[in-house]
Amino acid sequence: MATIPLHRVNVLTGIKGATILEDPGQFTKQIAKAKRPLLVLGPRLLEWSLDGKIVLEYALDIAKAANIPICATSHLKGKLTELGVTPDSVYDVVEIVNALKDPDWKGVKGEGNHDLVIFFGIRSDLQNQCLSVLKHFAFGHLKTMTLDKYYFPHADFSLNNIRKDKDWKAFLEDLTKSLQTKS
Amino acid sequence: MSEKKEMRDLVEKLTKKQEEIRELIKAEIEWEPVGPTPMPEVADLRNWDMRLLKTYKPWYAPFCDLCCLCTYGKCDLTQDRRGACGIDIGTQQARIVLLACLMGCSAHAAHAGHILEYLIDRYGPDKKIDLGTFIEVEAPNIRTVTGLKPETLGDLKNAIEYVYKEITHLLDSTHFGQEGSALDYESKALHASMLDHVGMEVADIAQIVGFNYPTSVADTPLVEMGWGSIDKSKPVILVVGHNPATSTVVIDYLRENGLEDKIEVCGICCTALETTRYSDKAKIVGPLSRQLFFVRTGIADVIMTDEQCINTNMPEEASKVGSALIATLDKAMYGLEDATEMDTDEIIKRMTENKEHFAILEPAKAAEVAAKVAMKIAPQRKKELLSEEEAKKLAEKCTDCGICERACPNLFSIGDGITEMAKGNFEPMKELFNLCIGCGKCERECPQGVPIFRLMQVAASKETWKVRAGRGAVMDTEIRKVGAPITLGTIPGIVAFVGCSNWPDIRDIAEMVDEFARRKYIVVLTGCSAMVAGIWKDKEGRTVYEKYPPDFDAGGVVNIGSCVSNAHISGAAIKIANIFASLPLRANYEVIADYVLNRVGACGVAWGAMSQKAASIGTGFNRLGVPVILGPHSSKYRRLYLSRKEEDDWTVMDARKRELVDTGEPSPEHLAYVAETKEKAMIMIPKLCIRKNDTPQGRSIKLNHYISLYKKYMGGGLPEDLHLYIRRAADIPLVYRKEVMPYLEKIGWKPKEPVGLPTLIGTYPSKVSIDSVIH
Repeated sequence: MATIPLHRVNVLTGIKGATILEDPGQFTKQIAKAKRPLLVLGPRLLEWSLDGKIVLEYALDIAKAANIPICATSHLKGKLTELGVTPDSVYDVVEIVNALKDPDWKGVKGEGNHDLVIFFGIRSDLQNQCLSVLKHFAFGHLKTMTLDKYYFPHADFSLNNIRKDKDWKAFLEDLTKSLQTKS
Repeated sequence: MSEKKEMRDLVEKLTKKQEEIRELIKAEIEWEPVGPTPMPEVADLRNWDMRLLKTYKPWYAPFCDLCCLCTYGKCDLTQDRRGACGIDIGTQQARIVLLACLMGCSAHAAHAGHILEYLIDRYGPDKKIDLGTFIEVEAPNIRTVTGLKPETLGDLKNAIEYVYKEITHLLDSTHFGQEGSALDYESKALHASMLDHVGMEVADIAQIVGFNYPTSVADTPLVEMGWGSIDKSKPVILVVGHNPATSTVVIDYLRENGLEDKIEVCGICCTALETTRYSDKAKIVGPLSRQLFFVRTGIADVIMTDEQCINTNMPEEASKVGSALIATLDKAMYGLEDATEMDTDEIIKRMTENKEHFAILEPAKAAEVAAKVAMKIAPQRKKELLSEEEAKKLAEKCTDCGICERACPNLFSIGDGITEMAKGNFEPMKELFNLCIGCGKCERECPQGVPIFRLMQVAASKETWKVRAGRGAVMDTEIRKVGAPITLGTIPGIVAFVGCSNWPDIRDIAEMVDEFARRKYIVVLTGCSAMVAGIWKDKEGRTVYEKYPPDFDAGGVVNIGSCVSNAHISGAAIKIANIFASLPLRANYEVIADYVLNRVGACGVAWGAMSQKAASIGTGFNRLGVPVILGPHSSKYRRLYLSRKEEDDWTVMDARKRELVDTGEPSPEHLAYVAETKEKAMIMIPKLCIRKNDTPQGRSIKLNHYISLYKKYMGGGLPEDLHLYIRRAADIPLVYRKEVMPYLEKIGWKPKEPVGLPTLIGTYPSKVSIDSVIH
């Protein structure tokens, strides 16, 4: 039976659902395969915390470990600045998705469009809709991935629904380590 | 048939058609010359749409990968596949968007038609339209779109029949094997939504005239809102929906029978707003999101439904709590027995003794039955709210399984509130109530059968608030006063909070209204947004309606009215073009929309939008050149209109110099845009009020707000795209000059000349000449 997203409003009405990856090594492999990955970070990262550390900090560890450029959406830039991080670009999520679907876009570094985009921390219904845009209109040049603790059917690669925060924390930390090892 | 004869027949046919239209719009009355597009048909404004869509390209977020509309399907449309009919995924999204806009348009048009029929029956077709001393341009949408200047209720009928006709053609295009272009579907959606504003205008003009609603006045009464404001010691009649034909007759009945102080009338959704325009004794329970919550309290002795946005399970919900239900309109009869012809005493007997619900489509009879049934059953009302102790006990059944969160469209866990309630802490539940959109899915899914809505009754605030009753159209005198400062930019913008308000957080709108009214924007509101703006008080205990003046002027907070009153907001933008800029309205849509797009700094915010009506209201604003910001969940509407500011062509015609000018200035940047958060919306609103026509002083004021809100919500720095909006140094707000100048130097900014008279006319094929935009 197909996996059902945690939030039922995101249930897939279609045939092609995301591939569920559970092992951080599988994520690392996909990230390593990409020539120009991009990490799109959203405002939910400010609301979630794991063991007293906001999830944004886990996301930044991942970005740093794999040297992935960051796009900050909504009002996330303020907190990033506070943490001493300058995002590579600032767009709202619908705007970055609008750019990403254009194969000729120059990308946040001006080096060409990205071939992998990793979404993390966008409100789940909006994130799933944005993934749908890319699934339908950017499938020829872009893969999509999510790191939230929910299953996103419109992504290419997604985590399964994770019930326990300690498991999610372990995943994020292991992913960081795995990316560090790889690089 | 020879080619010549074919041509002759065609010309004859066209002439005949034009004659028919001229007759319908009474072309012989020369109040203005008839413009190029009287009663435009589906393709008549297509070139304008295509020009808009060139800059603001549709952004499709399919909600469903399949098409399931015919028996050739289901068709998988992923990865460039086409359906059996040949349709692709983008076109399918546009088709669904058109269907949504048509649903919205037809809901308002049918409402208008029903009200009109009812009032013509009551007063005759010759009843004059008089909106008071200060409103001469009575119907800006109808004038601009159709070319008709309605003088009587009968004239309004011509306008609404035109809308009906166009709806049929548009709906036809969604059938299997018709339109094959996403852009053409978008043009049709824009057409449907423009018609929606005509339909809404018909409805509200008829209501104002027929029900003597306030008009030509700003300072309408403040009415009470909140479920705590309902006097439960009296019999209670609850009206739900949008159409006031019956609720106003209920008020009449109570007045005529000396019962106005003996029976409580309250409302949910737009009927509440309509009823308070008719009687300031009526009360507003709240927006749509409070419908199920309030119905389940059982406080209402009689529930009267009319149309649109009513819970479709109302008979069962009413029965559960012992409320009597009367369905008053044929749009929603719930399978109930039609008692319109039944003897009144018989209906009352069966409703009170057998607990039966009925449809009664005759307003006077429905009103009498409602009042009598309410008085009979109220003394037996045994609907006590839970005590805190009982609630705590019920909350203990919760196992914190998380299923409620899975079901919640607003994606939050009510279970967190319930588990805290079980510990005796009611505060989290009180907080979560502000996020509740009132769908009831959580309760239906709960495996433990926890009565979540009843628990909410214990925690929900019983505070009451004040909302200013809807005032209808903006006055011509007000337009005269603000026309220049708006188009020059010294009033930084008009912000219209419209439509549903249910999510993400019911308090968001009040916060946004306060922010922009304080900054001297003109804030206008309609529908459920107008209600929830009142759900907040400052330190002195004032709502935004008490804190700010009710005038359509800088710093005013104006409740325009219900959903159908949205036509007065688009109407206000149109009136600026007419009253301030002296542009003729008559059948002159393209020129007026071009004026609004390039010169009227207005921005819509449909923050909690959920319905199809919200889709057509917003899309109608888009065709008129007004950008709309939607809340994050609204990506589920499937389509936005976004530009890409760095890549897109921002060339306009300078109508005075007759030259094309590449401005490089993305104003307005988007036409339909989803903001992820309230914070982001706060930053986008001032930006979307920027127009190419701004004077240096006006631009400087607008940029001052853009920068200051950016700093407030982004935690400092300057907007990444600020340089795109600075034409010359004089545009830079004085207070930020020291910070902005070095930034501009660093990025190599070069000054450019502002455009004298910016227009899109002349940049695309159009029947309209550049001369027509010069006033």
